[in-house]
Amino acid sequence: MKIASKLCVSVLLSAGLATGAAADAVMAKKGMEADMVLLPKFLGILVFDQANTGAQEAHAELENPGELLFVGPTPENSVAGQIEIVTTAATQSRDAVMISNNSGDQIVPAAQAAKDAGAKVVTWDSPIPSGEAEDVFVAQVDFASIGEVMAEMAHSILDGEGQMAVLSATPDAANQNAWIAAMQTALEAEKYAGVELVDIVYGDDQSEKSYDRALALVDKYPDLGVIMAPTTVGIQAAAKAMQDEGLCDEVAVSGLGLPSEMLSYTLNGCAEEFALWSFVDLGYLTYYTAYLMATGQISGEIGESFVAGRMGEYTIEKDPTRENGNRVLMGPFTVYNMDNIEAAAAE
Amino acid sequence: MSSTDIGVAKRPLEKAISHLSDWEGFLLAVLVLTIIVNASMSDVFLTVNNQINLFQLSIEKIIVALIMTLIIINAEIDLSVASMMGLAACAFGWLFLHGVPIGLAVPIVLLIGVLGGAFNAFFITVMGLPSLVVTLAMLIGYRGLARVLVEDRGITDFPAWFDALGQQPLIGPFPLSLLIFFALLAFLVVVLHFTGFGRYVYMIGNNKEMAVYSGVAVNRVKATLFIASGAISALAGLLFAARVGAVRGDVALGFELDIITMVLLGGISIFGGRGTLFGAIFAILIVLNLRNGMALANITHHLQTGVIGVLLILSVLLPNLRSMLRQFRETRASARS
Repeated sequence: MKIASKLCVSVLLSAGLATGAAADAVMAKKGMEADMVLLPKFLGILVFDQANTGAQEAHAELENPGELLFVGPTPENSVAGQIEIVTTAATQSRDAVMISNNSGDQIVPAAQAAKDAGAKVVTWDSPIPSGEAEDVFVAQVDFASIGEVMAEMAHSILDGEGQMAVLSATPDAANQNAWIAAMQTALEAEKYAGVELVDIVYGDDQSEKSYDRALALVDKYPDLGVIMAPTTVGIQAAAKAMQDEGLCDEVAVSGLGLPSEMLSYTLNGCAEEFALWSFVDLGYLTYYTAYLMATGQISGEIGESFVAGRMGEYTIEKDPTRENGNRVLMGPFTVYNMDNIEAAAAE
Repeated sequence: MSSTDIGVAKRPLEKAISHLSDWEGFLLAVLVLTIIVNASMSDVFLTVNNQINLFQLSIEKIIVALIMTLIIINAEIDLSVASMMGLAACAFGWLFLHGVPIGLAVPIVLLIGVLGGAFNAFFITVMGLPSLVVTLAMLIGYRGLARVLVEDRGITDFPAWFDALGQQPLIGPFPLSLLIFFALLAFLVVVLHFTGFGRYVYMIGNNKEMAVYSGVAVNRVKATLFIASGAISALAGLLFAARVGAVRGDVALGFELDIITMVLLGGISIFGGRGTLFGAIFAILIVLNLRNGMALANITHHLQTGVIGVLLILSVLLPNLRSMLRQFRETRASARS
């Protein structure tokens, strides 16, 4: 009897929560003060500047009288630099730190210090792998679906049969690692039996290194059909390498790229097909999430819903791609090819 | 012995004090100015927490900078320090991954540091090769070994107590690494400025041939310094692993330049024989305070690097300008008479 009534109550409660959440998704109250820091993996990459554009847009729209800082480390000092910036943010008692994490779990001690100092730690683009010291992760698209799209693109480029190699960013980049893992899972399906993943190499998101790694792949695997680069730096470097060596007919390049950077390679056939999402939107949604948490309008609990301005309603959920951690899922993303790239690049 | 070489080199302590009046005095003024500006710009700058962080964020570099000071005064250089830090951290990660208990892994890694230093020392003293070339080769060699050990991955999940040693205060507000830094500083100040060994370091740096003819065991002094450099770099690598709780192949990549920058900024002559640990410590404090102040003022990292670069150029330029000016005056004076 007791159990039954408890069950009854909890069912009612959860039903109430579910409908309640849908009905009263939190509308952001404007003009509340919160000092925010947007931290990219490092400075000097277009997508991170785009994310900053989106965050600045949200910052102005929400009329936050506080500061929004965009500070990042130099590429060769990314890990130590990220740790330093998060530590400084803690010292300065910032209200929210938004991190595109490039430091794996090495960032945890610094992020924990920021939390202890009262900041909300929101990751975007790339989460903290262990989920420790992180309030919520704003995921660009579902990691599993990135894996499937990459498998599908490889399948269609290879016509169902052939060798693929992955050119990734840094070995510690949590997002790239998760996408590659998701792709490997997707490849186990019957449909992709003909697609063989022969190697995974790392260009550290540096153009020159990625370029060299792409050429090394071609030398090592004479039958290679496609280089899949789930990073905007890697895909561009690989496409340029294949173009420079006149290899575009034999080895196709695909993965995640920026239309404006990939336009010429798609038109000349070196990278016929690739995918991406909008980093401006990602920055915008990340800012909304962090602002609402830093001003206490949402607490970051699973099931909470909020309206992120022009992008509409989002709900915080358990991150299915990690053992620990919550996420807000942005989605969807676009596959670019000859038909739509010119319009997208002109944006 | 000690009575004969006083004529060769001035007594180090006297030399240190007389030297304090010019370059070190200038550094001290810059340091005080930096601290005043920082404190007035940011109300958190002087908090204990921030002052500890200021050291912690660069602690591995400044520990190695101390021994680098002695090596450069000795008219040598060790470019392999950062690669040794990387090798030590990666060797530690590799041992940990293969189930070696930490209590055993730490001494093994320190031994690797000693051996690496001895390897450098062998080529420099016995084979007589320039340290610039030998340690440049090892900069590449040790880094390569580090990358082979951990391949393209990060090793993490060390026991909590190990990470805590690198991150948490041990005594009062001081973490282990900061205590090691101060202890090493005190020890090396005594060695360099108050012992016969320290006098030999200066003597060899000033004029190696004269030191040889005075009966100084030049090779033994040099070998001691390079072995100490290897061991201290390995220790710094371990401290880095504990501080960030993870290692990968690029640990401490490029740190040698920051380390040498701090030493040269301290008025230690790259040609050897000149400079003191006091100059080095002032320079270290200036760099740390500048970086921290700029970070608190939200100045981006590209600009921070630029400011430190300008400072280094000034540190080389200013003393030279002064001696040029003096020379100019002297020639004019002699021309008149």
